Amino acid sequence: MRFEKIVKPKNFETALKILKDDPDSVILGGTTFLRLSDKKYSTAIDLADLDLDYIIENEDNIEIGAYTSLRTIEKDTIINKHFGDLLPKAVEHIIGVQFRNNAKIGGAVFGRLGFSEIITALLVLDCELQFEENGIVPFAEFVSNWKIKRDILKKIVIKKKPGKCLYKMLRTSDADFPILSVAVSNFDEIKISVGTRPSIAKLSQEASRMINSDNSKIIEASNLIVKEFTFGDDMRASGKYREKIAPVLVSRALQEVLS
Amino acid sequence: MKVNLDINNRIYKTYIDADEALLSVLRKLGYKSVKKGCDTGACGVCSVLIDGKPTLSCQFLAARAEGHKITTVEGLGKDADEIVDAIVSEGADQCGYCGPSLVLTTYAMKKELKDPTIEKIKHYLAGNLCRCSGFEGQLRGIKRYMGVK
Ligand SMILES: Cc1cc2nc3c(=O)[nH]c(=O)nc-3n(C[C@H](O)[C@H](O)[C@H](O)COP(=O)(O)OP(=O)(O)OC[C@H]3O[C@@H](n4cnc5c(N)ncnc54)[C@H](O)[C@@H]3O)c2cc1C
Ligand code: FES
Ligand code: FES
Repeated sequence: MRFEKIVKPKNFETALKILKDDPDSVILGGTTFLRLSDKKYSTAIDLADLDLDYIIENEDNIEIGAYTSLRTIEKDTIINKHFGDLLPKAVEHIIGVQFRNNAKIGGAVFGRLGFSEIITALLVLDCELQFEENGIVPFAEFVSNWKIKRDILKKIVIKKKPGKCLYKMLRTSDADFPILSVAVSNFDEIKISVGTRPSIAKLSQEASRMINSDNSKIIEASNLIVKEFTFGDDMRASGKYREKIAPVLVSRALQEVLS
Repeated sequence: MKVNLDINNRIYKTYIDADEALLSVLRKLGYKSVKKGCDTGACGVCSVLIDGKPTLSCQFLAARAEGHKITTVEGLGKDADEIVDAIVSEGADQCGYCGPSLVLTTYAMKKELKDPTIEKIKHYLAGNLCRCSGFEGQLRGIKRYMGVK
């Protein structure tokens, strides 16, 4: 990534105006992914003065500011109290502490990367995104359609609910990309998401329907995942290998949330 | 653009490119302990402390470092000597390229981990790659420094 100048707007209106008026401008997160590209921008927009680094709990929700680091999320006790280790587990193997101190949740979400573990995990929560221009958008809608390309993500809002949720993945070594990621929750109903297939995470429809109608059908529902999703090849694993792994991770996760 | 950088408690007034990484600026200012490895965020040899937190300087924009305290291994003084002694006494270092970042991260880890265990140490240091040593010797020294049996 190259850019000519960096600006630090003092309010969201100014930041959005710069983003909209200049098609070659870019919002900076921690720049961990942005820096890998050769793309040239005119203006880099740093949101550091807009107070986006927070995790707060109110009566119904947990709100996470877009500039909250992955490391803060990993260690946060409020998140842990409500969602166990779902989110910590989804970020704790992303490179190392030095990386996660700088990478931000806003970048991890807005980047919509196929191997994004945090997206796999957030999909099973009742979760919305708040943008400056587009307002509130359900998380699953943002992930599955690419309508929002230029806006400012301000925060992630997660509804507090009683229930269980957990995250599982397979990777060959600690700081490598995952080969497959799975998250399962059991709040009002059971939700299953499968990511790094290697394409972006998606919620299951059919397997979820089956397990919600009959909690004993763990093996059948897990096997249905292979029919419901497509699994592809990349340098880490073949689609065939992912097809073998997915039902195993899903059935283990279902067993745990239903126990 | 002109910036004021606080490096090891010394203020530098210097000119940088708007998109320049902190790594490049630190090396230009003479802090050669900060190494360039992968330049993609994967190896950890460029680590510095920003406000006490280990951070990859290849990914951190120098323009954003203003107003923060940057610490390189040169700024650790006696604390660095203690960690280096623990590692060297195990005969662990080979080329030494990963050394400064490992020392800085270990220093931050000691402050952050209240109840260190071998698993927690390994997890904390997962982002520090060493190309030659195989990690075991370094780990023995660091375990001792952390007071873990
Ligand atoms: C070497 C490497 C290994 C990785 N391994 C893994 C892994 O194992 N698992 C995993 O899940 N992920 C992995 N990642 C991805 C990593 O999680 C992302 O790079 C990181 O979370 C992006 O965060 P960032 O703050 O640096 O975003 P940036 O790189 O700064 O931004 C990413 C995108 O989001 C946009 N953006 C950022 N903030 C906002 C905002 N508030 N509003 C609107 N747009 C915004 C940017 O314009 C850009 O398009 C890896 C990345 C790297 C570089
Ligand atoms: S040079 Fe920064 S992580 Fe490798
Ligand atoms: S001793 Fe050579 S890279 Fe670690």
